[in-house]
Amino acid sequence: MKSQMTQLAREGLWTNNPIFVQVLGICSTLAVTNLVLNTTVMCVALIFTLSLSSATVSLLRSFTPRNIRMMVETLIIAFYVIIVDVVLKAYWPQMSENLGPYVGLIITNCIVMGRCEAYGNSNPPGAAFIDGFFNAIGYSFVLLIIATFREILGMGTFLGHAVPYFSSEYWDKWIIMVMPPGAFFMLAIVTWIFRSIQLSKQEKKK
Amino acid sequence: MKNKRWFPVAYMFVVTVFFSAVIIGFSQVTEQRVKANEALAFEVAVLKVLPGLYDLNTGAVELHRRFTEEVQQPSDDSAGAYTLKQNGQIAAYALPFSGQGFWAPIDGVIGIEPDKKTITNIVIYQQRETPGLGAEVAQRKFCDQFINLTMAASDKPVVFRRPGEPLNSGEVHAVTGATQTSIRLEKIINDALKNWRERINAKQK
Repeated sequence: MKSQMTQLAREGLWTNNPIFVQVLGICSTLAVTNLVLNTTVMCVALIFTLSLSSATVSLLRSFTPRNIRMMVETLIIAFYVIIVDVVLKAYWPQMSENLGPYVGLIITNCIVMGRCEAYGNSNPPGAAFIDGFFNAIGYSFVLLIIATFREILGMGTFLGHAVPYFSSEYWDKWIIMVMPPGAFFMLAIVTWIFRSIQLSKQEKKK
Repeated sequence: MKNKRWFPVAYMFVVTVFFSAVIIGFSQVTEQRVKANEALAFEVAVLKVLPGLYDLNTGAVELHRRFTEEVQQPSDDSAGAYTLKQNGQIAAYALPFSGQGFWAPIDGVIGIEPDKKTITNIVIYQQRETPGLGAEVAQRKFCDQFINLTMAASDKPVVFRRPGEPLNSGEVHAVTGATQTSIRLEKIINDALKNWRERINAKQK
């Protein structure tokens, strides 16, 4: 069990990272990464949704008829996402307002469906939960890297606090970083760096 | 049973009923909180534009009390604006406005002095514009431009100028990189102000 867990952790975080290896969930990477705080909440929401929906799909896997499994998966994912949405609206209205429609859009995040299909569908609930959890963490840390750069370069702040130099008049704020194209550039650069590291490690192994 | 033709339909039905029931139950539990939050967001916006009613460290309960006790509900005489009365005289108006932004409706409140010409403040409490660009209209940096702004007597009480252009009286700078949001917000604010000015002037003639 323990070795399986480290295996799942390694895959979710690194060797099979949802962003730079599976290239899933890119849509939300582009949408919510211009402020670190928003990204953090989004990542927590995704960790919750992904691990629990993967576990739930796995719980029901022996009952669910194969031909309607996608419908059932979507339903389960939507269920958890609505819960997140309602909780935010009730207890953190400010954040709910900041994230706006993006919380609801977790439903369409390809990682969630991807992990339910690839892992939850054919493994026991505990393992599916762990797999979902680490995939969500793998997604989160890449998003946070992108968000940190975008917020500092584009707005001169980090978590809303002014960063020295970048918030002063010496730094001409890169507005493109705040806009969607900035996310494309950042995503490409991050993917490039991580993939290069991975490839060079694989080369060494040979 | 699993091979029966009706099984997928029945299964989907049962699963849907189950998850829907949980969500309905859950949202009923939180419904009041959600509604209270929405109502409070509006009340706080009204308090913020009226002089001397809002400060940062006040709790939600006290803010709600101030709103219900000190702010007068809109009437025909105030042409749809909330009012603050001091010694029987109107000390300020708070005019709610709303309209379609670039993505979703924008809702806010404008505070106006008793002279009906000077804007005291503006607060946007509900918007879903692009974060970092259009959403900047809800930030103080943009809204502070309205403090003590004198409305123009013309058809456009407040004119949005391109960022960097020189400003005359009754003009503010639009938000950089958010042309669509700025155009829409300019129209929403001007429609609200114009409409209110006509109604209140007609009333007091």
